[in-house]
Amino acid sequence: MDIIGPVLVSGMTTGALYALATLGLSLVWGSLGMLNMAHGTLLTLGGYAAFTAASQLGWPVPVAVLAAAAVGGLIGALIFMLVAYPLSRRNPETFETTIMIATFGVALTLENIVLRLYGGQPLGQPLTVGGSISLGRFVLPWQNLVIIIAAIALMAATALFLARTKAGRAIRATAQNPDAAKLLGVPVARVYLQVLILSGMLAGVCGVLVSSITQLSPSLGADPMLKAFIMCVVAGLGNLPGAIITSFALALVEALVQFLAGARWGFPALLAIVILVLIRRPGGLFGRVEMRRL
Amino acid sequence: MKRQDFAHLMIGLVVLAAAVALPFYVDSRYVIGQVTLGLFYAIVASQWNLLFGFAGVFSLAQMALFGFGGYATAMLCFYFGMNVWAAMPLAAAATVLFSLVIGAACLRLSGAYTALLTLAVAQVMYLLIVTDTDCFIMVGTQCRQFTGGAVGFARFGDLGTRAMFKTKYLVANYALVVILFTATMLFTWAIIRGPIGLAFRALRDNPGCAMARGISRFQMQLLVFGLSAFFTGLAGGLYAAHFNAIGPGVLSFSQLFFIIAMVVVGGIGRLWGPLVGAIVLVAADEAMREIGEFRSLGLGVIIAAVMVLMPNGLIGLCENIWDRLRRLRTRSPALAAEVSGDTPA
Repeated sequence: MDIIGPVLVSGMTTGALYALATLGLSLVWGSLGMLNMAHGTLLTLGGYAAFTAASQLGWPVPVAVLAAAAVGGLIGALIFMLVAYPLSRRNPETFETTIMIATFGVALTLENIVLRLYGGQPLGQPLTVGGSISLGRFVLPWQNLVIIIAAIALMAATALFLARTKAGRAIRATAQNPDAAKLLGVPVARVYLQVLILSGMLAGVCGVLVSSITQLSPSLGADPMLKAFIMCVVAGLGNLPGAIITSFALALVEALVQFLAGARWGFPALLAIVILVLIRRPGGLFGRVEMRRL
Repeated sequence: MKRQDFAHLMIGLVVLAAAVALPFYVDSRYVIGQVTLGLFYAIVASQWNLLFGFAGVFSLAQMALFGFGGYATAMLCFYFGMNVWAAMPLAAAATVLFSLVIGAACLRLSGAYTALLTLAVAQVMYLLIVTDTDCFIMVGTQCRQFTGGAVGFARFGDLGTRAMFKTKYLVANYALVVILFTATMLFTWAIIRGPIGLAFRALRDNPGCAMARGISRFQMQLLVFGLSAFFTGLAGGLYAAHFNAIGPGVLSFSQLFFIIAMVVVGGIGRLWGPLVGAIVLVAADEAMREIGEFRSLGLGVIIAAVMVLMPNGLIGLCENIWDRLRRLRTRSPALAAEVSGDTPA
């Protein structure tokens, strides 16, 4: 029974990271119907922004994390203004696929800018906490605890924002029915902009957390993004609570498979689960099957 | 419809004539090599165009199919000592089966769900190959993985052109790729102008109405996955045989989006879109070689900018300009509307 401890620690940590990455992705999908292929790059940018602020400019840790959120939010806003908004205005019918291709172009561009600026070699993220607490044979590094707590705090803050504030209410209304929201006086375009900024900020902080247990590299966000896609699909695109539950559950499964069968089987196991779930429920576990009028 | 067939035929003959003339005017091995590579891309892109542009299935597994064809060819030669020429059709058939399995897994999905599932399939294939470290057989003192691992396969046999044409073998290989490209375009054309092509387009434009008219989405989706896989797999096999090597690099994300970018730049759902895109992007890639480090960066900007500024690609842009010119000439709005009423293929 020695594996329960490590599996729990690693599963909960990656689960928290996946959940945070999935939250931003799912938020944008749920309200704009847009699959943001540049989401992983926003994670990368956040990680590098914190690195620059903390180790090159010598700013204190909280400011560095804020800088990561700011950079993520700024790029999110730019993606909306320069890419998503013109595309959705021009041809709403094909928006679902065109936006994926366009945001991939954005991701490729941004990733290469990072590569130019910082080089391809991995860098160490300075924002780390050393040491660990041990309860008997159960060892929990502080770093992992910080990640889990930070991710849960951010998710709680986002949930409160969506549930209690006026802006949050506008976001939920727009996600439910953009036309009705517009008729009731919600400035839909501004809400979309807010959603992308929020998602970018979450991605920026998530990037800092991811890089604190791995290393900084230009492709830092690719793996969490792919996993976040999978979580989103299994949960049903756009369903926030479902996405978070699925993230933790699948991360635990992945950690278990990795401990039992070797690291390379973690991802194929996830894929098998996705296919099985989608064959039974094409709209995801918690998704509603969309009714479309002909 | 007749006039369009004629136009496609004329364009096809011009393209073929240009392709045949190229080796007589260009002597540089480098240029021939790059054009050959561009044609490989154009073949894969045209099959992805069939899948996405005509049938509306946004699959991201096209390079995985290409890689599958290449790997199958290499492995058949490597493990069974097969001749490359015998291995290629077998590998293409295997690719069709693989694609049918992917298509079956995506049957009930649409839009972004299809994209994510196919992307995950491609990524798993890449990861399993790259992280393969278990010894399968020993070659001399070296350990070989079943899938070739991160290195891939090399020197498993070639097309026989080296022995036959000596130093001119590159031109011979180029000719083979031109033949494959011609066959691919004829095949694609035959499909899109036939009843199957109409069914694909109906399902793309309005799945509900298409199904109500008796088109089986189940059959058609499996059909398009199968049809678009054959030439992709064959091209993968020829690619592996041409370079006498295949590695996991073809499965990478950037290769996949290079193909997608070609279709987008040329024009989604246009027969000649992938070729135009391949020419433009390979040329742009060459031009940006001068500024080496900014190649991928430039490619990213091109994809995003084309998508936002001209969603129908270069061919769509030309069609728009052509329509406007005609409207200016006829000057009669009623007639102009009638003339531009025929839909582009």
